[in-house]
Amino acid sequence: MLSHSSLGPAHLILHKAQKQVAALLNLLGDWAAFIGAVLILGLVSSWYMIDSGTLLTTEREGPWVSWTSAGRADADPYTRAHFARLGSLQITTEIARSYVAYSDSDGGKLHSSCDYVVEGGEPGTSWWSVTVFDDKGELIANPIDRYTFTSQSIAIRPDGTFAVALSREARPGNWLPTGGAGRLALVFTTLDARAPLLTAQEDKENTLPGIRLVKCR
Amino acid sequence: MPIKLSDKLKNANWQLIIAAPVAAGILHICATFAAPYLTGASAYSRLAPALPLNKMEVLRPIKPGKEPIPFLSPDARYAMCKFDTSHGPVNVAAMLPPDAGWTLTVHSQQGDNLYAAVSTPGRITPVSLVLVASDDRFLGVTPEARGIARGKQPPVPVSATRGIVVVRGPDNGFAYQGRVLAGLKEARCSGRTF
Repeated sequence: MLSHSSLGPAHLILHKAQKQVAALLNLLGDWAAFIGAVLILGLVSSWYMIDSGTLLTTEREGPWVSWTSAGRADADPYTRAHFARLGSLQITTEIARSYVAYSDSDGGKLHSSCDYVVEGGEPGTSWWSVTVFDDKGELIANPIDRYTFTSQSIAIRPDGTFAVALSREARPGNWLPTGGAGRLALVFTTLDARAPLLTAQEDKENTLPGIRLVKCR
Repeated sequence: MPIKLSDKLKNANWQLIIAAPVAAGILHICATFAAPYLTGASAYSRLAPALPLNKMEVLRPIKPGKEPIPFLSPDARYAMCKFDTSHGPVNVAAMLPPDAGWTLTVHSQQGDNLYAAVSTPGRITPVSLVLVASDDRFLGVTPEARGIARGKQPPVPVSATRGIVVVRGPDNGFAYQGRVLAGLKEARCSGRTF
């Protein structure tokens, strides 16, 4: 083994430089990991909370999601960012609620290649509507120009319940065509000036309709 | 020789490890607050170019490919007014018919719903607003201060510099389309000087 004394000054300088480069690379590695972790944790968590919401900002009932402070001047920053990013105008949740579903009651993604039935009891609100969009919020073109049913245009069953068929082929009763849309989004809007909506748990169960998968092609 | 876990922990840069969640938290807050201002396609920026200033306009029925903004439901017909109060207050008036589902809402540029009125079945709901710039609440001398009895309900002041007023007439079926359109055409939006 060679002692230090047997090495020339050039080797010593090289050895020192190697150590300095290794230390620098370690430091750069630490900072790269730090910046990566900060970007992933900071931006991804922000994006997730703006895009999907959490229990703090949304109410979930089966497949339906509603942002609890939508449209309000005192809305939390996640709700404000969500709707700014979406580019939609929301009526304050003091008088209206919008529930959006991207999946059926069993958790499967809504898709135009499948048939669904949306059924429930008539909500105890003044006015409501159910509208089908594609997942980008655009209407689905169809020859009969039908995209929505409201509490005043829907055919209600004798027992006070209703059913809306989502299908690309014509169905008897309340039919919303979905042909060629791909992924679907269903929006259920309720409007009531008299009282805050869905305050009681038992009301909630009666109000929001279920989305049942009938068949897929 | 493999490096032991204890050696790894000893050599770890604990200052950076502790600083990472703090910095991520700061970035999370900044990104969340900045998001509404960074989006290039807010509802206001999509609607404003097609709307006249301080004038109510009834929109055409919402059709596929012609939706002014995403998730705007064709469950209603809409009349909209782009307002700007920086040169003077803007008067807004509408008579919401005695049917369920009519609304008049005032939205800021950021999409906040600053004011909302909803119709009541069985009686007409008159809505009269004066939109004033956020930093200017003075609306002039009231009739009462000048010794004149006011003949009707005073307008409600709403503070907003720019935004959109939306009057929404619900789709009650084909037979009611003319009535809904007439209700929307009655809505008024006009600028005035101080």
